[in-house]
Amino acid sequence: MPITPDDVQRFCEFLYRRTGMSFTQSKRYFIDHRIEDRIAATGSSSFQAYFSLLRADADHEIEHLINSFTVNETYFYREDHQLRCMTSSMLGAIAALKPPGGTIRIWSIPCSTGEEPYSIALWLMENWPEVDNYNVEILGSDIDTRALQAAAEGIYGDRALMRLSRDIVTRYFKPVANGNHQIDEGLRGSIEFTRVNLIDAQDMARYRDFDLIFCRNVLIYFDDASRRQAAENLYDCLRPGGYICLGHSESMSRISPLFSVCRFPDAIVYQRPEADHG
Amino acid sequence: MPLVKGGARGSDTSGDLTPQRPALDSSDAESRWAAARALAGHAEAVPELAAALGRETVPRVREAIMTALMRIGDAASVEAMLPSLRSQDAGQRAAAIESLQALPEAIAPFMAPLFGDRDSDVRLLATELARNMKAPDATRLLCELIEREQHPNVCAAAIDVLTEVGTPEAIPVLEKCAVRFAETPFLPFAISVAIARISGAEG
Repeated sequence: MPITPDDVQRFCEFLYRRTGMSFTQSKRYFIDHRIEDRIAATGSSSFQAYFSLLRADADHEIEHLINSFTVNETYFYREDHQLRCMTSSMLGAIAALKPPGGTIRIWSIPCSTGEEPYSIALWLMENWPEVDNYNVEILGSDIDTRALQAAAEGIYGDRALMRLSRDIVTRYFKPVANGNHQIDEGLRGSIEFTRVNLIDAQDMARYRDFDLIFCRNVLIYFDDASRRQAAENLYDCLRPGGYICLGHSESMSRISPLFSVCRFPDAIVYQRPEADHG
Repeated sequence: MPLVKGGARGSDTSGDLTPQRPALDSSDAESRWAAARALAGHAEAVPELAAALGRETVPRVREAIMTALMRIGDAASVEAMLPSLRSQDAGQRAAAIESLQALPEAIAPFMAPLFGDRDSDVRLLATELARNMKAPDATRLLCELIEREQHPNVCAAAIDVLTEVGTPEAIPVLEKCAVRFAETPFLPFAISVAIARISGAEG
């Protein structure tokens, strides 16, 4: 039975409410294909049967569906508008409150196999003239210890490096076996990788005083209760006035009223209010 | 070298219940926030959290109290949040709906009384609580409400939820509702949309 416009509308409304991902009828072809794929993959007899299964989140179907709608691979300089925003807007505001030589703390959570925290480091070295005037601490954390081990090793294939210029690859990576590239030892040594569960308040209590947190493309997978818990945990991890960057299809305003929206020229990010008495 | 190795910088004691308990009635919002966060998941703290929710005026702390109650998620924590549906503060009502929606099984026994509430605003808000329930349960509850509901706005809210979660069993009830409210044009229109979505008919 074909998927009807009403099916698509019903699906889109649910998807938006559940994940924040918003699609209009103009993406009909894209949406239909993904729904059809998931109907086939789950062995559902119709859209109605699939939609019931999706609403019940049977066999983690929401996670499978989100994966089918999003780019799951991670690579260097992904969503680089936020990195540009970091150096063009956020760090200026952060540094203005620091003494000369002060420490700026940046957290990548979840950091997966390390592309994001290394991207932050590379971007800073290449694009922020003030980088030598501050101590910049970059932490990468994830719940997956295998990913963390890979992050610490810092070995990547060509695909992960596709957004980097040849010059950057030459200067910061060395060739290793199987056509892979290993990131500079100095950079590897300067980033701390730790295991953290984002929704565990006690776990997260060990992490405080961050000026900037990159928490991209993970909250979308959480249910409402876990999302709120994560938002409150992240709030406590930030300094007052600190910023948080989410994935492009995520919105903190939907997740929690704790943060202010900051519309910078390069990106929309979220901020823990400076003087939060309320 | 501008990049220096940092690390964890915090405490290991935030989940320690005892030292935080007195702070829920602290005059300092930060202390109340921390106390509420520490009590998340502690079922024995529901009476204390309920009392704190009743007097809390700082939205951020109120959110944390509701999150703590949501994490507990039992009948007592639902009861503690229900009064917020009557709040004059839209933010508090919205936070309560969001928290209660996350507890579809715990909220189920409270749905019939909520749908029978004398206050139409409460009935209207309560329709949203059915949104995360299993489709047959939500459909049954919302249909029972629609069949006896006199207020068009409450029916409209129930129809909106059915548009997403309804099963075909709702269609006869919706058709009757359209006849009953034929003089309220937006309802027959909303019902036609709901029926189309529920039946999966070509639109």
